[in-house]
Amino acid sequence: MALLTPYSKVPELNTATVLLVENEEELQSKLANALVQYEKDFNVNVRLARKLPLPVENKETRPRIDLIVFLVNLLSERSLQSVESSLAHLHSDCFLGKVCFLVTDARCGSHTQERLVSVRKLAAAHQCPVLCAEHRTVDGVNAAAVRLLNILKVSAGMSPIATTALYLSSLTRCSVTSDLEED
Amino acid sequence: MEQDIQCSRSSEGKAVLLERCEEQFELLQKLQNEIILADTEAYDDQSNEAVNRLIAITSELERWHEMEPKLLTNSPEVLLAVGKEEVSCHCNNTQEVVIVSKYKCSYRFSHNFSSQLQRLNSQLKMVLSCSQAKLDAQKKILKREQTWQAEKKEALNAVCEKITRLQRENQKSEHSILQDMKRKINNLKDYHGSLMEMLSDMLAEHFPLPDPQGNSTKKKRAAAYDAEIDLISLSEIIERLTNKTLETPHDPYVTTDDTFWPPYTEMLLRNGIATRCPEDCNKIRLEMFF
Repeated sequence: MALLTPYSKVPELNTATVLLVENEEELQSKLANALVQYEKDFNVNVRLARKLPLPVENKETRPRIDLIVFLVNLLSERSLQSVESSLAHLHSDCFLGKVCFLVTDARCGSHTQERLVSVRKLAAAHQCPVLCAEHRTVDGVNAAAVRLLNILKVSAGMSPIATTALYLSSLTRCSVTSDLEED
Repeated sequence: MEQDIQCSRSSEGKAVLLERCEEQFELLQKLQNEIILADTEAYDDQSNEAVNRLIAITSELERWHEMEPKLLTNSPEVLLAVGKEEVSCHCNNTQEVVIVSKYKCSYRFSHNFSSQLQRLNSQLKMVLSCSQAKLDAQKKILKREQTWQAEKKEALNAVCEKITRLQRENQKSEHSILQDMKRKINNLKDYHGSLMEMLSDMLAEHFPLPDPQGNSTKKKRAAAYDAEIDLISLSEIIERLTNKTLETPHDPYVTTDDTFWPPYTEMLLRNGIATRCPEDCNKIRLEMFF
C-alpha cells in the first residue's frame, strides 16, 4: 500500500503545498483560487484530488505536501464515507499537524448535525483541527482560505521559530466534549 | 525550516545571509536523507497513533530545552533590518525575538527595536484605558436604567393593586348598596320615631289642655261653655297641620273650629309656626319656621 508520507521529500524554497481532497469537487477549485490569490509572500501550490490514494504515476513529480485538507460536505453521506476510506491511506506521521478537516453546510438540517458530530469524533481521534466554512458566498470562501493559509504557514514552516505544526495541532485540535460523547 | 530574508542593506550583508542560507539547506538535505532511510526501514504501525504523538511531542520538547537563542548574524545593520521587518510586516501578533547582544552597536539596534515595541505597548495601554473607561460608563448607564426600571415597576404594582381594589369595590357595591339603603332607612325611621316621642312628651308636659274645672265662679260660665266642647290638645293640632301639609300639599289649610283652643292657635300664629289663609280668616296652615 502506498501511503502518503509527510517527510519523504525535500521542501521547495519559499513554497508551500496544500492538497485539497474532496469527493464532490465543488469547493475545491474556488478555494484553490482564493488560496493562491491571498498569499503574496510565498508561493502557494494547490493540488486537488478526489480521494486518496493518489495516483502512483505522479509520485516522482509531486512536491512535498505540507498540509492535507479534507473537505467534507455535510449534506451528503458519501462525502464522509470517502474521507474515512481515504484516511486509511495516510501515514500516521501525517496526523502530527499536517491534516485538517474543513466541513461545509454545518447549519442546514438535522442530518448535518449528526454528521458533524461524527466528523468531530473522527478529528478528535486523530487530534486534528476542524474548520467550518460557508462555501456559497465569495466572502465565505475567502474567509476559509485565510484560515487555511494560517494553518498552512505553520505546517510549511513559514512562521517564526516558536511555532511548529505539531504544536499548532495540539492547540487547535478538535475536542469532543462529554455531552457529545453521550449522544 | 528557514526564513528567506528579503531585504538587506549591503551586499556584504546579503552575502553573509546567503551563506547562512546555504548552510541551513545543506543541513536540511542531510536530515532529509536520514529520514528517507529511516522511513524505508521502518514499517508504519497505525494503531499506535497516540504513542506516536507522545513520542513526537516529547522529543520536540527536549529539542526546545536544548536550543539556545543565538544571533542570526553578527552584523548590526542586518540585524536591524531583520528586526524591523519582523516587527512591521511579517508578524501580526506580538512575538518574542530573543536577541543576545554582546556589542554596544547591537545595543543601539535593540534599543531602536525596543522603542518600537514600547510604542506598541503604550498604544495598547491607551486602548486598554479607553475601553475601561467605556466599560465604566456603560456600567453606570446600566445601573441608572435598572433603578429607573425598578421605580416604574413599583408604580405599575401600585396601579395594579388599586385597579383590583376598585374592581372588588364595584363588584360588592351591587349587593351592599341595598343593605346600606335599608340600614339608612331604618336609622331614619328610628330617629323620626324618637323625635315624635319627645315632641309629644314635651307638648303634653308644657301645653296641657285647659282645666275644665275653673278656679272662680266668674269664668264658670266660660269654662262650662268650653267644657261642653271637646278640645283637642296642642299635639293634635300640630299633627293635623303637618298631615294636611304632607298629604295634600296643594291644599294645606286646616279650618279652625271650636275644638281648637284659641290661645293655642294665637300662640302658633304669633310665633310664626302657622299663618292665616289670606282669603279665609278661619283657615291656618303650617309655615316653614326655623
